[in-house]
Amino acid sequence: MSATTPIASDIARMQRASFLVAAVAGVLLLIGALVDFQRFLQAYLVGYLMWLGPTLGSLAIVMLHNMTGGKWGFAIRRLLEAGMRNVPLMAVLFLPLLLGVTQLYEWAHVEHDPIIEAKRAYLNVPFFALRALIFFAVWYGLSTAMLRLAEKYDRTLSIPALRKLKGYSGLGLVAYVMTMSFASFDWGMSLEPHWFSTIYGVHFVVGQVLSTLCLAIVAASRLKRVEPFSRWLERSHFHDLGNLLLAFVMLWAYISFSQFLIIWSGNLPEETPWYLNRLGFGWQTFAMILVLGHFAAPFVILLLRRSKRNARVLATLAMALFALRFVDYYWLLAPAFHHGEFHPSWMDAVAPIGVGALWMGMFLRNTRGRPLVSLQDSKLLQQLEEAPSAG
Amino acid sequence: MFGNPKVKGPVFGLLAEYEDGNALLDAIRHGRSAGYERMEAYTPLPMHEVFEALGDKNRLPLLVLFGGIAGAVTGFALQYWSHVIHYPYNIGGRPLNSWPSFIVVMFELTILFAALTAVFGMLLLNGLPRPHHPVFDVPGFEEASHSRFFLLVPAYDPEFHMERTKQMLSATATVQLSEVPNP
Amino acid sequence: MSQPTQQPPGSPPIIAPGHTISSVSDKITSIVLKRHTPRGWYVGFAISFALMMVMLGSIAKLLFEGVGVWGLNVPVGWGFAIINFVWWIGIGHAGTLISAILLLFRQEWRTSINRFAEAMTLFAVACAGVFPLLHVGRPWLAYWLLPYPNTMSLTPQFRSPLLWDVFAVSTYATVSLLFWYIGLVPDLASLRDRAKSRFFKTVYGIFALGWRGAATHWERYETAYLLLAGLATPLVISVHTVVSFDFAVSIIPGWHATIFPPYFVAGAIYSGFAMVMTLAIPLRKVYGLQDFITMRHLQNMAKVILATGLIVAYGYAMEVFFAWYSANPYERGMAWNRMTGPFAWSYWALMLCNVITPQFLWLKKVRNNVALLFLICLIVNVGMWLERFVIVVTSLSRDFLPSSWDTYAGTVWDWSLYVGTMGLFGTLLFLFIRFLPMISIFEMRTLVPHSKQKAPGEGEAS
Repeated sequence: MSATTPIASDIARMQRASFLVAAVAGVLLLIGALVDFQRFLQAYLVGYLMWLGPTLGSLAIVMLHNMTGGKWGFAIRRLLEAGMRNVPLMAVLFLPLLLGVTQLYEWAHVEHDPIIEAKRAYLNVPFFALRALIFFAVWYGLSTAMLRLAEKYDRTLSIPALRKLKGYSGLGLVAYVMTMSFASFDWGMSLEPHWFSTIYGVHFVVGQVLSTLCLAIVAASRLKRVEPFSRWLERSHFHDLGNLLLAFVMLWAYISFSQFLIIWSGNLPEETPWYLNRLGFGWQTFAMILVLGHFAAPFVILLLRRSKRNARVLATLAMALFALRFVDYYWLLAPAFHHGEFHPSWMDAVAPIGVGALWMGMFLRNTRGRPLVSLQDSKLLQQLEEAPSAG
Repeated sequence: MFGNPKVKGPVFGLLAEYEDGNALLDAIRHGRSAGYERMEAYTPLPMHEVFEALGDKNRLPLLVLFGGIAGAVTGFALQYWSHVIHYPYNIGGRPLNSWPSFIVVMFELTILFAALTAVFGMLLLNGLPRPHHPVFDVPGFEEASHSRFFLLVPAYDPEFHMERTKQMLSATATVQLSEVPNP
Repeated sequence: MSQPTQQPPGSPPIIAPGHTISSVSDKITSIVLKRHTPRGWYVGFAISFALMMVMLGSIAKLLFEGVGVWGLNVPVGWGFAIINFVWWIGIGHAGTLISAILLLFRQEWRTSINRFAEAMTLFAVACAGVFPLLHVGRPWLAYWLLPYPNTMSLTPQFRSPLLWDVFAVSTYATVSLLFWYIGLVPDLASLRDRAKSRFFKTVYGIFALGWRGAATHWERYETAYLLLAGLATPLVISVHTVVSFDFAVSIIPGWHATIFPPYFVAGAIYSGFAMVMTLAIPLRKVYGLQDFITMRHLQNMAKVILATGLIVAYGYAMEVFFAWYSANPYERGMAWNRMTGPFAWSYWALMLCNVITPQFLWLKKVRNNVALLFLICLIVNVGMWLERFVIVVTSLSRDFLPSSWDTYAGTVWDWSLYVGTMGLFGTLLFLFIRFLPMISIFEMRTLVPHSKQKAPGEGEAS
């Protein structure tokens, strides 16, 4: 776990590769932006929101784990903490979107639309920017507070520190869900300013946790191949993580289907265009891929006990599911830009890779100099699970 | 499975009583190593280790899977037949095959069929209900539902032999050894 | 002597120290088998039974005169019947949740309350069922809702959420009954073997199905129980989802919202846990069950109530925000009418009961105070009834056409039926407490130290 172990050089190598990919993608995207700034923004938004997923999802899972305890959490805790440290990175990466807000969002440049005018008090550029500032302030505050409180508890192992950790986690989860919901309305839903769905925020929150679980499982299974983690990470860790993944896959499907059925049955002209746009013009292929790949296949595979207890099978599934998370974001967001047609651009693929490579490089950098698993955790386990929660 | 074979003769089997689960487990291992394959244990609480030690099989999950699939197929067939084949009628401009609406009932029937299979499959495989069983005639067996553990070596076990089996069971930590009368 | 791996210093245990397999069995069976019945039982049963008579009287009046005796009118075609139906169904959900979901999550603390919670589910579903059955107007023809070959050559309308309800609720009732009964079988065998009177020996014997605790039986039994838990979990979520669809797939402002499914499910869990606490707190006192239903149970349930209460509050917040954000005059009008219209009292009372009250549960002091917990749970029960009242009445009383606007109030027959179903619930509950073990004996045995065996499903949750 110190800098001399093979895993450390492994990480250094992956980190260099990540930054290299990020640099190449960055140059390409810069060229793309100069050629067609609007098209760049559209591709970039999808890539950005995709990688905001594991950043904030890490924060959410850490807070959830602080409150519930459970062995599964200790297996991935350090990885999640490294993910959480990427909040400032995501804040910096938000700047292009803020710069391009008028080109990206219809409400920011269309005038004389009575429906948009009626919600102008919310949908206007200064308030949009202010909200973004608040969101990032809250997320940064939460992630640093969680890291500090956890670190303090690790050091002292005192019950008051634990109570504080648990209490702040509860409040933090409330803050995260509220801010992320409104962030999803701002950055995703308002792309089609006439349309609205009250469950949209929940869809985003669930998606973020799902993305994070996928990445964490992949990372943990890689760690499992290396000493000393191979001794510490057990089958039951992966079993629990697999169950959690299954629960969130089902939750995702539940939310997606409920929304579809309610809008399909209501059949209102202000709502159905959203689906009509996404179930035709080539977009239906993505919808089908999501139904089968994002729900049906993982559902069946994760029902089997054997596949959950096998780190390799689970990691392969998680990797595929993470790739499908991109399809979900793409299907959710991109049809807003081309009404009634399907016009992919090379930037649609390069943007998520570029943002992802940078994210990954920073993530790997965050893991360095810190233990990948906390040795105290095995002792903490019981106390965290059993101690009465904070007041 | 499906109850037990008939036993001829005055003795249904031998029943040994134990004070705790570990003594019972040791006895089962002892019996298995002596070649007894058809033993049955009675415990006041579920003990997975005892089942494993006895070396039996459990096919219930597969049955339930088929039950669930049957429910899903029935659910969709019922609705499709109702609204597309039997009585096609335009209601609110919805398509005849309104599959998004059909998913709910399909789901409920999947659960219903699977649950019924789980319960009745379990009873069937266990040979229940069976209000009377020879072991009930052994005095003190009512403790099996309270706090005691029992091991039965039935007469239909190929290895069963009155004297040898008695010796085998006496060698375990049994607190009481009884003959189960065959009604 | 407490569970060594489960027991940190200072936190309340899930089973009080000093118990053995034998003492647990004795203590629980004796509640059922000992002759003496506490006076409180007679009093409670008498009150419940009297209220049940009120219900029967109210039903008689209804059947004699028709649904006109209720307060329904033309825009408000759904009134108390649907409010009470949703309220009762929601209460029932906690039972399934405690017995199924907590089993899958390997939460051992559920063991001492699951039997009781499952019974609560069954009785709550029975109470819920009364309302739609009567609301159809001619209850004797309620079987028309089922698909069966008939001379009219008709089939029911499967695109209607009301029919989904028929399937969801009847499946739910069936599976809950099976789950509860299957869980009871080994305990019925214990009662059979302990009962002194020949009559009870026979009755318990019949229902015990000849259970004799064979290890092979236990194994399949545990599998079946675990599978039922696995099936009941999505089922319980689907039931309240379907209930929410009753509203959400329509296009009525205030009903047609995509947040409804998760928000209704959370609300159901919220009210259900509140009801479990409302019943468990007095019961553990009267029957001296503090050893089995410990402070830890009450604290954990309080946390669940807080968490689900927050989800419900999120639902309210989204409703209000999107009513404005939709820029749809009907949606905005609906929200404004809720807050300032003739039923504003119900909306603000709802906020007080469901949003403000549970926030006290953040404080550990409150979670440790049984009297305060009891009070909060009572308030939540009222709040959840108000929630359905607000949803049903405010939206319906303001139709799209102002000329059809009307007001709504329940009549004495509405109220008597509602209060009467509480009598039905109480009657069934008191009979259950008297004649069946209200705590699962065999599962409690698995919690006793030195029996290292696992509870059903433990370690096999998939």
